[in-house]
Amino acid sequence: MEDDDQQKATDLVQELVLRLVSQNPQTPNLDPNSPAFLKTLRYAFRILSSRLTPSVSPDATAIAESLKRRLATQGKSSDALAFADLYTKFASKTGPGSVNNKWALVYLLKIVSDDRKSAINGLDSSVLLPNLGIGDGFFRGGEAKKKDCNNGVLLVRKDPENSRDEAFRKYAVLVKDENEVNEEVLVRDVLYACQGIDGKSVKFNSEIDGYAVQDSVKVPRATRVMVRMLSELGWLFRKVKTFITESMDRFPAEEVGTVGQAFCAALQDELSDYYKLLAVLEAQAMNPIPLVSESASSSSYLSLRRLSVWFAEPMVKMRLMAVLVDKCKVLRGGAMAGAIHLHAQHGDPLVHDFMMSLLRCVCSPLFEMVRSWVLEGELEDTFGEFFVVGQPVKVDLLWREGYKLHPAMLPSFISPSLAQRILRTGKSINFLRVCCDDHGWADAASEAAAASGTTTRRGGLGYGETDALEHLVIEAAKRIDKHLLDVLYKRYKFKEHCLAIKRYLLLGQGDFVQYLMDIVGPKLSEPANNISSFELAGFLEAAIRASNAQYDDRDMLDRLRVKMMPHGSGDRGWDVFSLEYEARVPLDTVFTESVLSKYLRVFNFLWKLKRVEHALIGIWKTMKPNCITSNSFVKLQTSVKLQLLSALRRCQVLWNEMNHFVTNFQYYIMFEVLEVSWSNFSKEMEAAKDLDDLLAAHEKYLNAIVGKSLLGEQSQTIRQSLFVLFELILRFRSHADRLYEGIYELQIRSKESGREKNKLEEPVSWISEGRKGLTQRAGEFLQSMSKDMDSIAKEYTSSLDGFLSLLPLQQSVDLKFLFFRLDFTEFYSRLHSKG
Amino acid sequence: MDEEASRTARESLELVFRMSNILDTGLDRHTLSVLIALCDLGVNPEALATVVKELRRESIPDSVTTTPS
Repeated sequence: MEDDDQQKATDLVQELVLRLVSQNPQTPNLDPNSPAFLKTLRYAFRILSSRLTPSVSPDATAIAESLKRRLATQGKSSDALAFADLYTKFASKTGPGSVNNKWALVYLLKIVSDDRKSAINGLDSSVLLPNLGIGDGFFRGGEAKKKDCNNGVLLVRKDPENSRDEAFRKYAVLVKDENEVNEEVLVRDVLYACQGIDGKSVKFNSEIDGYAVQDSVKVPRATRVMVRMLSELGWLFRKVKTFITESMDRFPAEEVGTVGQAFCAALQDELSDYYKLLAVLEAQAMNPIPLVSESASSSSYLSLRRLSVWFAEPMVKMRLMAVLVDKCKVLRGGAMAGAIHLHAQHGDPLVHDFMMSLLRCVCSPLFEMVRSWVLEGELEDTFGEFFVVGQPVKVDLLWREGYKLHPAMLPSFISPSLAQRILRTGKSINFLRVCCDDHGWADAASEAAAASGTTTRRGGLGYGETDALEHLVIEAAKRIDKHLLDVLYKRYKFKEHCLAIKRYLLLGQGDFVQYLMDIVGPKLSEPANNISSFELAGFLEAAIRASNAQYDDRDMLDRLRVKMMPHGSGDRGWDVFSLEYEARVPLDTVFTESVLSKYLRVFNFLWKLKRVEHALIGIWKTMKPNCITSNSFVKLQTSVKLQLLSALRRCQVLWNEMNHFVTNFQYYIMFEVLEVSWSNFSKEMEAAKDLDDLLAAHEKYLNAIVGKSLLGEQSQTIRQSLFVLFELILRFRSHADRLYEGIYELQIRSKESGREKNKLEEPVSWISEGRKGLTQRAGEFLQSMSKDMDSIAKEYTSSLDGFLSLLPLQQSVDLKFLFFRLDFTEFYSRLHSKG
Repeated sequence: MDEEASRTARESLELVFRMSNILDTGLDRHTLSVLIALCDLGVNPEALATVVKELRRESIPDSVTTTPS
């Protein structure tokens, strides 16, 4: 069959040549068998067997279109219409008898008509395009002046001396020399390169890392440079595309995250726009346009220069995208959004708009996360991209430790204060849900959303609406905080609990403390091992019932317990006794372990102080019937009486001093420290807008108490001297007790002896001692007592001196007032300066 | 059917002839029919066009004689 075809083809060619030659006016009618004819025939065969490839793609319609357009632009519009009509009819003919290879035919017509046109116009055919390059018959650089053949191309010259023609001829030679490749081809190759595909002449060169015309292809240097510049777009495109494919591949491995995905999606949108542009350009590349000048012929609409104009805008965008891709290779989540945002701060409106649309895409997952966190307390963050991280913690630590800000993931368009608010709002919702078992926050959330104009559904916000986001967050925060505080105050009676703590742990309820001390006091003097906590609990109950505390809320009284601290063998009950207050969820967010231990320290201190005060009052009670005692010793000798009187007097004086000190110190602690701090705290509680404020206020309150009552770190030395003073006072108490006991004993004995004098003699020996023995004993007793009292007094004075000297060094202003009150007569300062 | 085929062929030729007239190629019906046949046989249209062009020259180039195919 092929041979058949071959034979047919040969015949046809012969026929064709015959006809053409006979048509040619120059050559005479040749005999088909003449040598000239055969020569021509051979030539024709040679041409046919050469591998001339058409430089346009086999699209008949496109060629037809271009022909039509050419006709139209030449002014022959009616011809153009007729042609279009004919072509449609022609193209619709299918089946046997019709032309199969329509494209070839139309193309043929086109070429022939081109040639005809140029021939008619009398052009110098040497300027024709190198599709005349015939196989191996290609000679170069012939003499331009020759009239005859040059490079197998005929020279048809009108005016041999015409320099313009000369110039053109030289140009044609040069062009043929260097221009192996058609500009059209190059344009198409560049278009391919811009999609990342290697073309025929323009391939990706990994040495220079870019698309360039291959070295083997000869193009003028200017064209080479031009192609290189245009292919930058291809390089950028490649970069962006690799990033997208890589991210898509990595996505199942969960390294990319939702923000990264959104970024890829946005990039792909941009790239699809880019593809559209490229498709349009490619379509344009097929169509020739009319020639402006006669001397050049271009067969396509697009030249490299035109391409560079078209590519200006995509180049800018692609560059931006490549920069972003570089930046975001290692970033994730909020950090990525922040980095992209930084790039959006640009003055050029094109860049700005582009970045805005990109960012809107990228930040939508983030904003969604914020919205769901702020309105519902839900943290849907599988890839760890949100700037709020949650940790599973115990219920009581939920507020403090449960959620934290992750500053690395915080995008730069959300300010830190806004981030804090966001964190707090979500935390509050979770806190309400978990700790307080409250569900009223949902109303608050929807109210907030309505107030700020968005909805509680998804997709309400986008990037560029940071103001709207802020507004939403502020509204939500306001409402939810208020709700939280309401719940805390009303349902959980936070204020009442604080007050109860103050009354019991901080010894605010005076009568209760007094009763407790009375009952528990003697018990606590025993060693700690002997005391059982049940007994103490019983005492506590008794004290509560006996005082006004019984009218207090049962719930709070239930939480009050006795606690025996861990003790060693030598400890007395006083050292280990303490009260504790049990705080349950959700109040244990405020009253944590550390807070309660601070309260405990303060309680211990206050308890010690109370004990000292109690001791002094005890002495006062025994000291009261002073004059009575002195009266009953009229029978004794005057010296003893004087001794007695002086001992008593000294005791009284010392008592007064100690009392003065203790009273003032107690007043200072009770009123200036506790009450003042409490009123400050109450005010701040009123003003608190959210739980963080409340926690801070409580901290401040407690720290103020601890600092001002000399329990802080800096006050260690002064605390030591204070405790020394307390010790001394307690010792004094025991001495005074002994003194008065002795006096009573003497009193009784003297009464007895007095009475017994009137009676008969008694067998009991000591009665018969008589007055002298009594006096002697009294004297000895009183002497020893006085000595002890003196020593105590001296120690006390020196300790107090030490204490007072340390007092002004403290930082608290109130302590200076204490100092003033303690030494208001400057008694001690004068003592100090004297001694 | 043969009738059909021949009619189609005639019509196609007519259309092509008219198109080529509009384009002012200077080809007559006979030449066109030969060209169509050659195209259908798969000959390169570019080459065919070159042949047409060359053979329409006013004179035959000398180089043809010096370089045999």
